[in-house]
Amino acid sequence: MSWWPFGRKKEDQPPWLNAYLTEAKKSIPGIRKIQQLNFVVLDTEATGFDPKKDELLSCGIIGIEEGKIKISSSKEWQFASDKSPGKSATIHGLIHPKNPIEVKTFCQELLQSIQGSIIVGHHIGFDLDLLSRTFQPFGFNQFPNPKIDTMGLAVRLDFGPQVDWNRVRKEDYSLDAMCEKFNIPKEDRHTAGGDAFLTAQLLLKLLKQAEKKGILTYQELFR
Amino acid sequence: MANVIVNRVQEFLKKHPPFSFLNQDDLASVASQIEIQYHEKGEILFEKGDAPEAHFFILKEGQIELKDGEETKDFCDEGDVFGVLALLGKRPYILTAAVLENSLVYCIPVNAFEEILQRNSKVALFFAAGFASGQVVIRQDLSAGQKARGIFKKDNNDHSLLIFSDQSEIRFSENVVCIAPESSIQQAAEKMAEKEVSSVVIINSDKYPLGIITDKDLRTKVVAKAISLDLPVKQIMSSPVITKKRDSSFSDLYLSMIKNRLHHLILTEDGSAESPVCGILSDHDVLLSMGNSPAVLINALLNTTKLTEMRSIRDRAETMLRYYLENEVSMDFVASVMTEINDVIIQQATKIAKSKLAPEFPEMQGIKFAFISLGSEGREEQLLRTDQDNALIYEDLPVSVQAKAQNYFQLMGSEIVEVLLACGFASCRGEIMASNPKWVQPLSKWKEYFSEWILSPTQESLMQASIFFDFRKITGSSSLTDELSAHIYEEIQSKKAFLSFMAQNALKNPPPLGFFKDFMVEKSGEHRDQFDIKARAMMPLADLARLLVLSHGITGINNTFKRFEKLGQLEPSYESLFNQAGKAYEILMRMRALEGLQNDNSGRFISPENMGKLQRQLLKNTFSPLAELQDIVEVRFQLAYFRK
Repeated sequence: MSWWPFGRKKEDQPPWLNAYLTEAKKSIPGIRKIQQLNFVVLDTEATGFDPKKDELLSCGIIGIEEGKIKISSSKEWQFASDKSPGKSATIHGLIHPKNPIEVKTFCQELLQSIQGSIIVGHHIGFDLDLLSRTFQPFGFNQFPNPKIDTMGLAVRLDFGPQVDWNRVRKEDYSLDAMCEKFNIPKEDRHTAGGDAFLTAQLLLKLLKQAEKKGILTYQELFR
Repeated sequence: MANVIVNRVQEFLKKHPPFSFLNQDDLASVASQIEIQYHEKGEILFEKGDAPEAHFFILKEGQIELKDGEETKDFCDEGDVFGVLALLGKRPYILTAAVLENSLVYCIPVNAFEEILQRNSKVALFFAAGFASGQVVIRQDLSAGQKARGIFKKDNNDHSLLIFSDQSEIRFSENVVCIAPESSIQQAAEKMAEKEVSSVVIINSDKYPLGIITDKDLRTKVVAKAISLDLPVKQIMSSPVITKKRDSSFSDLYLSMIKNRLHHLILTEDGSAESPVCGILSDHDVLLSMGNSPAVLINALLNTTKLTEMRSIRDRAETMLRYYLENEVSMDFVASVMTEINDVIIQQATKIAKSKLAPEFPEMQGIKFAFISLGSEGREEQLLRTDQDNALIYEDLPVSVQAKAQNYFQLMGSEIVEVLLACGFASCRGEIMASNPKWVQPLSKWKEYFSEWILSPTQESLMQASIFFDFRKITGSSSLTDELSAHIYEEIQSKKAFLSFMAQNALKNPPPLGFFKDFMVEKSGEHRDQFDIKARAMMPLADLARLLVLSHGITGINNTFKRFEKLGQLEPSYESLFNQAGKAYEILMRMRALEGLQNDNSGRFISPENMGKLQRQLLKNTFSPLAELQDIVEVRFQLAYFRK
């Protein structure tokens, strides 16, 4: 029995995917306090910077519940890649992973971890594009979870919701710049787990700022 | 599952006690269960009376104030553990934790830790000794803290036999003078004389040791018995011999010498007598290698007036000091030994000065004088050669000889000060030294000085008083200093208000509560961001001890911790507080001296950033008796009124 996606109906989806998609249909009430929301902060490292071509090398996540970063929820996966390491690998220092993981196992574990949570990342779009390609073989290419880009959130907090993006200096909102601005020591930078941890700390700090601006609930956060 | 995040958290925890006492597995397990919170300035983490949370805290960054109502109890900085009642008593919080600076707080689940607490005695001791911030009854902590520090230390360097300072310095002769058993006594004696040694080893053709002949054997077995010198040595040698392996530890070698009452110990290749001789250790070698013992140093000082030699002996004393401090030898003992050494140096310096001036001033030789030490040396507390505060008193003389005497003692004072400088004692910045004419005066003038300080206290005179009131005679005539003490006592009795001024002076420095980042460290200048342990912690305690002792009319006890001990006897209701204050002072002395030895400076300015977590906490804990004492003094001398 092949899991080749063409012509497959929804009913044929593997049960682990089903469980995830069912859970994802439940919407979060708009008045839920931010403090009560569950977040999963995610970061990936790839062989390059083009999500259409480059391959996933590693992925790190860490969860936030009730305003607390839960170290116990942290995970890091590394993959074997056929592609010769390109420019990006010299930044990440990733060439030979220590514990490469099966793609399917990874997909199962990741979905389990992000189930029912808001996905967070710095330039999260890039990471999700890359991940979608990994998930394609399973007939699935969009994560239905709500998503927050910490870069977007930071810009919104500085410029308000109707920001004119031409006025924003992008380099001021890179992860490095944000870490410096928010006094987050840049430890383990350019590892998937390390960047996810940094981004999680950044999110806590951004949410405090948001709270001061009266952004207290889920709907206000996603307005 | 260990990953880069867990490792990162672990790295942080590992640096801070009590986590630093955990083994790798426990550490990883705790790290993986941490939860991280972020709080901004002004938030309250928990409130006094709140039920304890299921976790306690360690501060990752920022600053938290622990307070009771409006009263600050403690400040927590990076690496501080707090809110531990949840772990220990499961009682409601007794303090409120307010966020002073945006803080990242790591929460450690109690569950993750309880079991470790049972198993790991060091971790248990850490909490028992009150090292965590905001723990109650800090006053009773100091001795537990001292004990804990001793235990934590021992892990790294466990010396079993402490009398020997440095093994590498032990030397024994490798060229052993040997002779065959058939040689005559005459030949043995000749060989010993020729090689200038006190023993000769008798060996067989394989160089195995058969026996030994020493000076003493020649005396008791040959000369006293008048036997023929032509007899073979084997007839008088001591045999069999006790041997040891050449690379045995020094304590092992020394112990076998003591046990067997040996003056010479033969060393062989494999340690047995069936092995070639390769060395000999005499009790003279032992004595030399024990050169860093107080008795040897003092004896050596008494036998020299050469400046370079005096200097090098005092340098050696510093090596010994460091060793004592690092091994937690009691401060009472350490201070007494160092004071004795310093005193002997001053006495020798006086001798040098006197004999140098004698030819020029023969008529001055009979005049009574006293050389006094002031400040820390006066209090018998000077461990490092930080500065010399001293002065000279001579007897009142007829006007006719006064000018000449003034000149003589002035020269003498300067000479002594120069010798002390040469021995490494730094000079006093305020020029309070016996080289300054102002402080070389006849007894009547000294009485005037003290009367003036007592009767019209000014800011400056109070400062000087605090140095001069701790005077102690080092050499010369006691009758002069006794008379001066009596005079001071009477003056103070007749003007009690002086004590209030002194008290005011003693309260000038409120105790620091926390001292990291911008707290209580120097704001500018050379010592920016450093903590002034002398001005902030030691001087206030010394000032309080002096004040209270004077208020009881006690003179003659100069040492700060002995003063506290005395105060404990005089006021039994405050006995435990005084004991704690004395302990605190000892801890501070030790810290400062170690800091000074490490950095080759006065040790006065400590960088909190470079201190170990335990050291920092121990230092913090010493402030607690200081605060209590200041409260008592404030009430007792009714200072609220004065300050207005």
